[in-house]
Amino acid sequence: MKCLSKIIIHLFCLVALATSALADNINLSVAASLKEVINELSDSFAKKNSGVKFLKNYGASGALAKQIESGAPSDIFITANLEWMDYAKNKKLVDTSSVGTFTYNTLVFAGAPGKAASMQDLVKLDTIAIGSPKSVPAGEYAMEAFKKAGIDKQLEKKLVYAKDVRECLMYAERGEVDGAFVYKTDALLAKQAKILFTVPKELYPRVTYPMALTVAGAKNRDAAAFFTYLHGDEAKTLLSKFGFAVR
Amino acid sequence: MTPLSSTDYDAIRLSLQVSVAATLLSLPLGFAVAYLITFVRFRGKIVLEVLVNLPLTLPPVVVGYFLLLLLGKHGWLGSLLNEAGFRIIFTLKAAVIASAVVGFPLLVRSLRIGMETIDPQLINASRTLGARWYDTLLTVILPLSGPGLIAGSSLMFARSLGEFGATIIVAGNIPGVTQTIPLAIYEYASSPTSEKMALSLCLVSVVISVIVLFVHELMARKTARRD
Repeated sequence: MKCLSKIIIHLFCLVALATSALADNINLSVAASLKEVINELSDSFAKKNSGVKFLKNYGASGALAKQIESGAPSDIFITANLEWMDYAKNKKLVDTSSVGTFTYNTLVFAGAPGKAASMQDLVKLDTIAIGSPKSVPAGEYAMEAFKKAGIDKQLEKKLVYAKDVRECLMYAERGEVDGAFVYKTDALLAKQAKILFTVPKELYPRVTYPMALTVAGAKNRDAAAFFTYLHGDEAKTLLSKFGFAVR
Repeated sequence: MTPLSSTDYDAIRLSLQVSVAATLLSLPLGFAVAYLITFVRFRGKIVLEVLVNLPLTLPPVVVGYFLLLLLGKHGWLGSLLNEAGFRIIFTLKAAVIASAVVGFPLLVRSLRIGMETIDPQLINASRTLGARWYDTLLTVILPLSGPGLIAGSSLMFARSLGEFGATIIVAGNIPGVTQTIPLAIYEYASSPTSEKMALSLCLVSVVISVIVLFVHELMARKTARRD
Protein backbone atom coordinates (compact mmCIF):
# COMPACT_ATOMS: atom_id res chain seq x y z
CA MET A 1 0.00 0.00 0.00
CA LYS A 2 2.61 2.51 1.10
CA CYS A 3 4.88 1.46 -1.71
CA LEU A 4 2.14 1.91 -4.28
CA SER A 5 1.16 5.32 -3.01
CA LYS A 6 4.84 6.31 -3.11
CA ILE A 7 5.10 5.26 -6.72
CA ILE A 8 1.98 7.23 -7.56
CA ILE A 9 3.23 10.28 -5.73
CA HIS A 10 6.58 10.01 -7.50
CA LEU A 11 4.86 9.80 -10.87
CA PHE A 12 2.80 12.82 -9.92
CA CYS A 13 5.94 14.70 -8.95
CA LEU A 14 7.63 13.80 -12.21
CA VAL A 15 4.73 15.33 -14.10
CA ALA A 16 4.82 18.36 -11.86
CA LEU A 17 8.59 18.72 -12.23
CA ALA A 18 8.46 18.41 -15.98
CA THR A 19 6.16 21.41 -16.16
CA SER A 20 7.76 23.52 -13.48
CA ALA A 21 11.50 22.87 -13.55
CA LEU A 22 12.22 25.76 -15.90
CA ALA A 23 10.70 28.76 -14.17
CA ASP A 24 11.38 29.80 -10.61
CA ASN A 25 7.94 29.09 -9.21
CA ILE A 26 6.51 29.25 -5.72
CA ASN A 27 4.98 25.90 -4.81
CA LEU A 28 2.29 26.10 -2.17
CA SER A 29 0.94 23.17 -0.17
CA VAL A 30 -2.07 24.57 1.61
CA ALA A 31 -4.93 23.13 3.67
CA ALA A 32 -8.12 23.06 1.61
CA SER A 33 -10.06 25.36 3.94
CA LEU A 34 -7.72 28.24 3.01
CA LYS A 35 -8.26 27.91 -0.73
CA GLU A 36 -10.28 31.07 -1.34
CA VAL A 37 -8.15 33.38 0.76
CA ILE A 38 -4.79 32.06 -0.53
CA ASN A 39 -6.02 32.39 -4.11
CA GLU A 40 -6.68 36.10 -3.55
CA LEU A 41 -3.44 36.66 -1.67
CA SER A 42 -1.29 34.97 -4.29
CA ASP A 43 -3.04 36.87 -7.09
CA SER A 44 -2.39 40.23 -5.49
CA PHE A 45 1.23 39.25 -4.71
CA ALA A 46 1.78 38.15 -8.31
CA LYS A 47 0.43 41.49 -9.55
CA LYS A 48 2.98 43.42 -7.50
CA ASN A 49 5.90 41.13 -8.31
CA SER A 50 5.84 40.38 -12.00
CA GLY A 51 7.52 37.15 -13.05
CA VAL A 52 6.44 35.27 -9.96
CA LYS A 53 4.33 32.21 -10.69
CA PHE A 54 2.39 30.16 -8.19
CA LEU A 55 1.70 26.44 -8.29
CA LYS A 56 -1.00 25.81 -5.74
CA ASN A 57 -1.78 22.45 -4.24
CA TYR A 58 -4.82 22.35 -1.94
CA GLY A 59 -5.71 19.26 0.05
CA ALA A 60 -6.10 17.62 3.43
CA SER A 61 -3.23 18.54 5.75
CA GLY A 62 -2.22 14.90 6.12
CA ALA A 63 -2.13 14.21 2.39
CA LEU A 64 0.00 17.32 1.83
CA ALA A 65 2.45 16.31 4.56
CA LYS A 66 2.84 12.86 2.99
CA GLN A 67 3.38 14.39 -0.46
CA ILE A 68 6.15 16.67 0.81
CA GLU A 69 7.69 13.73 2.63
CA SER A 70 7.75 11.81 -0.64
CA GLY A 71 9.51 14.66 -2.42
CA ALA A 72 6.69 16.69 -3.93
CA PRO A 73 7.90 20.21 -4.82
CA SER A 74 6.76 22.54 -2.08
CA ASP A 75 8.07 25.83 -0.72
CA ILE A 76 5.40 26.88 1.74
CA PHE A 77 3.34 24.49 3.86
CA ILE A 78 0.21 25.65 5.69
CA THR A 79 -1.83 23.10 7.65
CA ALA A 80 -5.17 23.22 9.43
CA ASN A 81 -3.85 21.80 12.70
CA LEU A 82 -0.69 21.64 14.79
CA GLU A 83 -0.38 17.85 14.64
CA TRP A 84 0.58 17.67 10.97
CA MET A 85 3.02 20.56 11.33
CA ASP A 86 4.66 18.68 14.22
CA TYR A 87 4.80 15.63 11.96
CA ALA A 88 6.56 17.70 9.28
CA LYS A 89 8.94 19.14 11.89
CA ASN A 90 9.81 15.67 13.21
CA LYS A 91 10.52 14.42 9.70
CA LYS A 92 12.67 17.53 9.07
CA LEU A 93 10.56 18.56 6.09
CA VAL A 94 10.25 22.20 7.14
CA ASP A 95 12.69 24.90 8.18
CA THR A 96 12.02 24.84 11.93
CA SER A 97 12.99 28.48 12.49
CA SER A 98 10.28 29.66 10.10
CA VAL A 99 7.36 27.85 11.75
CA GLY A 100 4.73 30.38 12.83
CA THR A 101 1.00 30.96 12.97
CA PHE A 102 -0.84 32.06 9.85
CA THR A 103 -4.32 32.48 11.27
CA TYR A 104 -7.06 31.09 13.52
CA ASN A 105 -10.54 29.74 12.89
CA THR A 106 -13.68 29.28 14.97
CA LEU A 107 -15.97 26.27 15.33
CA VAL A 108 -19.64 26.97 14.68
CA PHE A 109 -22.87 25.00 14.39
CA ALA A 110 -24.59 25.56 11.05
CA GLY A 111 -28.02 24.45 9.88
CA ALA A 112 -31.52 25.56 9.02
CA PRO A 113 -32.52 28.67 11.03
CA GLY A 114 -34.28 27.99 14.33
CA LYS A 115 -33.01 24.44 14.90
CA ALA A 116 -30.78 25.26 17.85
CA ALA A 117 -29.34 28.25 19.65
CA SER A 118 -26.87 26.70 22.08
CA MET A 119 -24.98 23.49 22.86
CA GLN A 120 -27.77 22.40 25.22
CA ASP A 121 -30.34 22.56 22.39
CA LEU A 122 -28.44 19.86 20.48
CA VAL A 123 -29.98 17.02 22.51
CA LYS A 124 -33.37 17.87 20.99
CA LEU A 125 -32.14 17.31 17.41
CA ASP A 126 -32.23 14.04 15.44
CA THR A 127 -29.06 14.07 13.37
CA ILE A 128 -25.89 16.12 13.65
CA ALA A 129 -22.98 15.91 11.22
CA ILE A 130 -19.38 16.16 12.39
CA GLY A 131 -16.09 15.20 10.74
CA SER A 132 -14.73 11.74 11.68
CA PRO A 133 -13.04 12.61 14.97
CA LYS A 134 -10.00 10.42 14.31
CA SER A 135 -9.09 12.04 11.02
CA VAL A 136 -10.84 15.42 10.84
CA PRO A 137 -9.65 18.02 13.39
CA ALA A 138 -13.00 19.88 13.34
CA GLY A 139 -14.71 16.62 14.32
CA GLU A 140 -12.23 16.05 17.10
CA TYR A 141 -12.89 19.55 18.46
CA ALA A 142 -16.64 19.03 18.27
CA MET A 143 -16.34 15.79 20.29
CA GLU A 144 -14.24 17.60 22.88
CA ALA A 145 -16.86 20.33 23.13
CA PHE A 146 -19.63 17.69 23.65
CA LYS A 147 -17.64 16.12 26.48
CA LYS A 148 -16.94 19.42 28.18
CA ALA A 149 -20.59 20.44 27.85
CA GLY A 150 -21.56 17.05 29.32
CA ILE A 151 -23.82 16.06 26.43
CA ASP A 152 -21.60 13.46 24.69
CA LYS A 153 -23.64 10.48 25.92
CA GLN A 154 -26.96 11.94 24.77
CA LEU A 155 -25.59 12.79 21.33
CA GLU A 156 -23.85 9.48 20.66
CA LYS A 157 -26.65 8.03 18.52
CA LYS A 158 -27.39 11.26 16.68
CA LEU A 159 -23.96 11.79 15.14
CA VAL A 160 -23.22 11.28 11.47
CA TYR A 161 -19.49 11.13 10.70
CA ALA A 162 -18.41 12.73 7.44
CA LYS A 163 -15.07 12.50 5.70
CA ASP A 164 -14.31 16.20 5.91
CA VAL A 165 -15.74 19.55 6.93
CA ARG A 166 -17.08 20.35 3.47
CA GLU A 167 -19.05 17.09 3.39
CA CYS A 168 -20.59 18.00 6.78
CA LEU A 169 -21.59 21.34 5.36
CA MET A 170 -23.05 19.68 2.25
CA TYR A 171 -25.28 17.48 4.44
CA ALA A 172 -26.47 20.53 6.38
CA GLU A 173 -26.95 22.53 3.20
CA ARG A 174 -29.16 19.79 1.69
CA GLY A 175 -31.09 19.37 4.94
CA GLU A 176 -30.02 15.72 5.34
CA VAL A 177 -29.00 16.52 8.90
CA ASP A 178 -30.37 19.06 11.36
CA GLY A 179 -27.03 20.79 11.53
CA ALA A 180 -23.29 20.35 11.26
CA PHE A 181 -20.18 21.40 13.14
CA VAL A 182 -17.98 23.29 10.71
CA TYR A 183 -15.54 26.18 10.67
CA LYS A 184 -16.98 29.67 10.58
CA THR A 185 -15.20 30.36 7.28
CA ASP A 186 -16.87 27.33 5.64
CA ALA A 187 -20.28 28.21 7.05
CA LEU A 188 -20.01 31.71 5.57
CA LEU A 189 -19.76 30.11 2.09
CA ALA A 190 -23.02 28.17 2.57
CA LYS A 191 -26.24 29.34 0.96
CA GLN A 192 -29.03 27.48 2.79
CA ALA A 193 -27.35 26.66 6.10
CA LYS A 194 -26.84 29.53 8.50
CA ILE A 195 -24.59 29.88 11.52
CA LEU A 196 -26.87 29.01 14.44
CA PHE A 197 -24.34 29.52 17.21
CA THR A 198 -20.63 29.75 17.82
CA VAL A 199 -19.18 27.03 20.01
CA PRO A 200 -18.01 28.68 23.29
CA LYS A 201 -14.24 28.90 23.05
CA GLU A 202 -13.57 27.38 26.47
CA LEU A 203 -14.99 24.04 25.19
CA TYR A 204 -12.29 23.24 22.62
CA PRO A 205 -8.67 24.08 21.85
CA ARG A 206 -8.01 27.00 19.55
CA VAL A 207 -8.11 26.14 15.84
CA THR A 208 -4.69 27.21 14.64
CA TYR A 209 -3.26 27.23 11.12
CA PRO A 210 0.52 26.97 11.41
CA MET A 211 2.70 27.75 8.40
CA ALA A 212 6.33 27.16 7.54
CA LEU A 213 8.86 27.36 4.75
CA THR A 214 9.95 23.92 3.66
CA VAL A 215 13.62 23.06 3.47
CA ALA A 216 13.57 23.82 -0.27
CA GLY A 217 11.43 26.93 0.25
CA ALA A 218 13.97 28.47 2.63
CA LYS A 219 16.38 28.64 -0.33
CA ASN A 220 13.80 30.10 -2.75
CA ARG A 221 13.96 33.91 -2.53
CA ASP A 222 10.51 34.48 -4.04
CA ALA A 223 8.96 31.99 -1.66
CA ALA A 224 10.57 33.70 1.31
CA ALA A 225 9.24 37.08 0.11
CA PHE A 226 5.71 35.67 -0.20
CA PHE A 227 6.08 34.08 3.23
CA THR A 228 6.82 37.52 4.71
CA TYR A 229 3.85 38.92 2.79
CA LEU A 230 1.59 36.29 4.38
CA HIS A 231 2.62 37.61 7.81
CA GLY A 232 1.86 41.20 6.79
CA ASP A 233 -1.09 43.54 7.32
CA GLU A 234 -2.59 43.07 3.88
CA ALA A 235 -2.93 39.34 4.49
CA LYS A 236 -4.49 40.00 7.90
CA THR A 237 -7.11 42.34 6.43
CA LEU A 238 -8.09 39.79 3.80
CA LEU A 239 -8.18 36.95 6.33
CA SER A 240 -10.63 38.78 8.55
CA LYS A 241 -12.74 39.59 5.49
CA PHE A 242 -13.12 35.82 4.95
CA GLY A 243 -14.03 35.24 8.60
CA PHE A 244 -10.72 34.05 10.00
CA ALA A 245 -9.55 35.33 13.38
CA VAL A 246 -6.12 36.92 13.02
CA ARG A 247 -5.26 37.10 16.68
CA MET B 1 1.58 -5.03 12.86
CA THR B 2 -0.94 -3.98 15.49
CA PRO B 3 -3.76 -6.31 16.58
CA LEU B 4 -7.26 -5.52 15.35
CA SER B 5 -9.40 -3.31 17.58
CA SER B 6 -13.09 -3.86 18.26
CA THR B 7 -14.10 -1.24 15.66
CA ASP B 8 -11.94 -3.14 13.16
CA TYR B 9 -13.93 -6.31 13.86
CA ASP B 10 -17.10 -4.26 13.45
CA ALA B 11 -15.83 -3.00 10.12
CA ILE B 12 -15.08 -6.54 8.92
CA ARG B 13 -18.52 -7.75 10.01
CA LEU B 14 -20.25 -4.78 8.38
CA SER B 15 -18.29 -5.25 5.16
CA LEU B 16 -19.33 -8.89 4.92
CA GLN B 17 -22.94 -8.01 5.76
CA VAL B 18 -23.07 -5.30 3.12
CA SER B 19 -21.46 -7.48 0.45
CA VAL B 20 -23.69 -10.50 1.10
CA ALA B 21 -26.86 -8.39 1.20
CA ALA B 22 -25.97 -6.39 -1.91
CA THR B 23 -25.14 -9.54 -3.88
CA LEU B 24 -28.22 -11.52 -2.82
CA LEU B 25 -30.54 -8.59 -3.46
CA SER B 26 -29.10 -8.02 -6.92
CA LEU B 27 -29.20 -11.66 -8.04
CA PRO B 28 -32.88 -11.93 -9.13
CA LEU B 29 -32.85 -8.58 -10.96
CA GLY B 30 -29.41 -9.28 -12.42
CA PHE B 31 -30.58 -12.64 -13.70
CA ALA B 32 -33.67 -11.09 -15.28
CA VAL B 33 -31.66 -8.36 -16.99
CA ALA B 34 -29.04 -10.81 -18.27
CA TYR B 35 -31.83 -13.07 -19.61
CA LEU B 36 -33.48 -10.11 -21.38
CA ILE B 37 -30.25 -8.99 -23.00
CA THR B 38 -29.15 -12.49 -24.03
CA PHE B 39 -32.35 -14.20 -25.19
CA VAL B 40 -35.05 -11.62 -25.81
CA ARG B 41 -35.17 -9.38 -28.88
CA PHE B 42 -36.71 -5.98 -28.27
CA ARG B 43 -36.35 -2.38 -29.37
CA GLY B 44 -34.02 -0.19 -27.37
CA LYS B 45 -31.95 -3.08 -26.04
CA ILE B 46 -28.83 -0.97 -26.42
CA VAL B 47 -30.32 1.64 -24.07
CA LEU B 48 -30.80 -1.01 -21.41
CA GLU B 49 -27.24 -2.23 -21.92
CA VAL B 50 -25.81 1.27 -21.57
CA LEU B 51 -27.89 1.96 -18.47
CA VAL B 52 -26.84 -1.31 -16.83
CA ASN B 53 -23.16 -0.67 -17.53
CA LEU B 54 -23.21 3.00 -16.56
CA PRO B 55 -22.13 2.51 -12.91
CA LEU B 56 -19.07 0.64 -14.20
CA THR B 57 -17.66 3.75 -15.82
CA LEU B 58 -19.18 6.53 -13.72
CA PRO B 59 -17.02 7.67 -10.82
CA PRO B 60 -18.49 6.07 -7.66
CA VAL B 61 -18.70 9.55 -6.15
CA VAL B 62 -21.18 10.48 -8.86
CA VAL B 63 -23.25 7.36 -8.13
CA GLY B 64 -23.17 8.29 -4.44
CA TYR B 65 -24.25 11.82 -5.11
CA PHE B 66 -27.14 10.69 -7.34
CA LEU B 67 -28.22 8.26 -4.63
CA LEU B 68 -28.12 11.08 -2.10
CA LEU B 69 -30.32 13.20 -4.37
CA LEU B 70 -32.71 10.27 -4.77
CA LEU B 71 -32.80 8.85 -1.26
CA GLY B 72 -32.04 11.94 0.84
CA LYS B 73 -34.60 13.47 3.16
CA HIS B 74 -35.70 15.79 0.37
CA GLY B 75 -35.06 13.42 -2.52
CA TRP B 76 -38.11 12.31 -4.48
CA LEU B 77 -38.00 8.76 -3.18
CA GLY B 78 -36.42 9.63 0.17
CA SER B 79 -39.10 12.17 1.05
CA LEU B 80 -41.84 9.55 0.54
CA LEU B 81 -39.97 7.02 2.68
CA ASN B 82 -39.28 9.69 5.26
CA GLU B 83 -43.00 10.35 5.67
CA ALA B 84 -43.49 6.63 6.23
CA GLY B 85 -40.90 6.94 9.01
CA PHE B 86 -38.23 5.04 7.09
CA ARG B 87 -34.74 6.49 6.86
CA ILE B 88 -32.21 5.11 4.41
CA ILE B 89 -29.28 7.50 4.31
CA PHE B 90 -26.64 7.20 7.05
CA THR B 91 -27.76 3.61 7.73
CA LEU B 92 -26.40 0.25 6.63
CA LYS B 93 -29.22 0.08 4.05
CA ALA B 94 -27.63 2.99 2.22
CA ALA B 95 -24.30 1.16 2.13
CA VAL B 96 -26.03 -1.94 0.73
CA ILE B 97 -27.80 0.07 -1.98
CA ALA B 98 -24.59 1.88 -2.93
CA SER B 99 -22.71 -1.44 -3.26
CA ALA B 100 -25.58 -3.02 -5.17
CA VAL B 101 -25.67 -0.23 -7.76
CA VAL B 102 -21.92 -0.12 -8.26
CA GLY B 103 -21.53 -3.92 -8.44
CA PHE B 104 -24.59 -4.65 -10.59
CA PRO B 105 -22.89 -4.34 -14.01
CA LEU B 106 -20.24 -6.88 -13.01
CA LEU B 107 -22.93 -9.37 -12.02
CA VAL B 108 -24.86 -8.92 -15.27
CA ARG B 109 -21.70 -9.26 -17.36
CA SER B 110 -20.70 -12.59 -15.84
CA LEU B 111 -24.26 -13.89 -16.08
CA ARG B 112 -24.43 -12.95 -19.75
CA ILE B 113 -21.14 -14.66 -20.54
CA GLY B 114 -22.49 -17.75 -18.81
CA MET B 115 -25.79 -17.63 -20.71
CA GLU B 116 -24.12 -17.06 -24.07
CA THR B 117 -22.23 -20.33 -23.69
CA ILE B 118 -25.46 -22.33 -23.33
CA ASP B 119 -25.94 -24.44 -26.48
CA PRO B 120 -28.90 -22.87 -28.37
CA GLN B 121 -29.88 -26.33 -29.59
CA LEU B 122 -30.74 -27.31 -26.03
CA ILE B 123 -33.03 -24.33 -25.77
CA ASN B 124 -34.61 -25.01 -29.18
CA ALA B 125 -35.06 -28.67 -28.32
CA SER B 126 -36.92 -27.84 -25.12
CA ARG B 127 -39.17 -25.41 -27.00
CA THR B 128 -39.97 -27.92 -29.78
CA LEU B 129 -40.79 -30.47 -27.12
CA GLY B 130 -43.51 -28.13 -25.95
CA ALA B 131 -41.92 -26.24 -23.07
CA ARG B 132 -43.20 -22.72 -22.42
CA TRP B 133 -40.59 -19.92 -22.20
CA TYR B 134 -40.67 -20.03 -18.42
CA ASP B 135 -40.24 -23.81 -18.43
CA THR B 136 -37.15 -23.41 -20.58
CA LEU B 137 -35.94 -20.65 -18.31
CA LEU B 138 -36.34 -22.66 -15.11
CA THR B 139 -35.30 -26.13 -16.31
CA VAL B 140 -32.66 -25.39 -18.96
CA ILE B 141 -31.23 -21.90 -18.66
CA LEU B 142 -31.19 -21.56 -14.87
CA PRO B 143 -29.39 -24.85 -14.15
CA LEU B 144 -26.86 -24.22 -16.92
CA SER B 145 -26.20 -20.69 -15.63
CA GLY B 146 -24.82 -22.04 -12.35
CA PRO B 147 -21.15 -21.27 -12.96
CA GLY B 148 -22.03 -17.85 -14.38
CA LEU B 149 -24.12 -17.14 -11.33
CA ILE B 150 -21.32 -18.03 -8.97
CA ALA B 151 -18.69 -16.19 -11.02
CA GLY B 152 -20.89 -13.10 -11.19
CA SER B 153 -21.85 -13.12 -7.53
CA SER B 154 -18.27 -13.61 -6.42
CA LEU B 155 -17.10 -10.71 -8.57
CA MET B 156 -19.87 -8.50 -7.29
CA PHE B 157 -19.17 -9.59 -3.74
CA ALA B 158 -15.52 -8.61 -4.15
CA ARG B 159 -16.44 -5.25 -5.66
CA SER B 160 -18.85 -4.59 -2.78
CA LEU B 161 -16.08 -5.27 -0.28
CA GLY B 162 -14.09 -2.47 -1.85
CA GLU B 163 -16.89 0.05 -2.32
CA PHE B 164 -15.81 3.43 -0.99
CA GLY B 165 -16.76 6.47 -3.06
CA ALA B 166 -20.53 6.04 -3.18
CA THR B 167 -20.77 4.61 0.33
CA ILE B 168 -19.01 7.45 2.13
CA ILE B 169 -21.50 9.93 0.65
CA VAL B 170 -24.81 8.16 1.30
CA ALA B 171 -23.89 6.19 4.41
CA GLY B 172 -21.35 8.44 6.12
CA ASN B 173 -18.43 6.97 8.05
CA ILE B 174 -19.98 5.95 11.38
CA PRO B 175 -17.94 3.34 13.32
CA GLY B 176 -20.05 0.30 14.24
CA VAL B 177 -22.95 1.46 12.06
CA THR B 178 -21.81 2.14 8.49
CA GLN B 179 -18.03 1.99 8.69
CA THR B 180 -16.90 -0.81 6.37
CA ILE B 181 -13.28 -1.90 5.87
CA PRO B 182 -12.35 0.69 3.20
CA LEU B 183 -13.88 3.52 5.22
CA ALA B 184 -12.03 2.42 8.35
CA ILE B 185 -8.75 2.27 6.43
CA TYR B 186 -9.41 5.75 5.04
CA GLU B 187 -9.97 7.10 8.53
CA TYR B 188 -6.78 5.50 9.84
CA ALA B 189 -4.65 6.60 6.92
CA SER B 190 -5.66 10.24 7.22
CA SER B 191 -4.58 10.61 10.82
CA PRO B 192 -0.94 11.17 11.84
CA THR B 193 -1.09 8.89 14.88
CA SER B 194 -2.93 5.81 13.65
CA GLU B 195 -1.38 5.30 10.23
CA LYS B 196 0.11 1.96 11.25
CA MET B 197 -3.25 0.66 12.43
CA ALA B 198 -4.40 0.76 8.81
CA LEU B 199 -1.95 -1.99 7.84
CA SER B 200 -3.63 -4.86 9.71
CA LEU B 201 -6.96 -3.97 8.17
CA CYS B 202 -5.36 -3.70 4.71
CA LEU B 203 -4.07 -7.23 5.18
CA VAL B 204 -7.54 -8.51 6.12
CA SER B 205 -8.93 -6.83 3.04
CA VAL B 206 -6.28 -8.43 0.82
CA VAL B 207 -6.92 -11.91 2.26
CA ILE B 208 -10.69 -11.74 1.74
CA SER B 209 -10.31 -10.38 -1.79
CA VAL B 210 -7.80 -13.07 -2.77
CA ILE B 211 -10.10 -15.85 -1.53
CA VAL B 212 -13.12 -14.43 -3.34
CA LEU B 213 -11.20 -13.88 -6.57
CA PHE B 214 -9.89 -17.47 -6.41
CA VAL B 215 -13.47 -18.71 -6.32
CA HIS B 216 -14.31 -16.40 -9.17
CA GLU B 217 -11.43 -17.60 -11.38
CA LEU B 218 -12.23 -21.26 -10.71
CA MET B 219 -15.83 -20.69 -11.75
CA ALA B 220 -14.87 -18.65 -14.81
CA ARG B 221 -12.63 -21.54 -15.94
CA LYS B 222 -15.40 -23.99 -15.47
CA THR B 223 -17.61 -21.87 -17.71
CA ALA B 224 -14.90 -21.57 -20.35
CA ARG B 225 -14.15 -25.30 -20.38
CA ARG B 226 -17.71 -26.21 -21.24
CA ASP B 227 -17.56 -24.96 -24.81
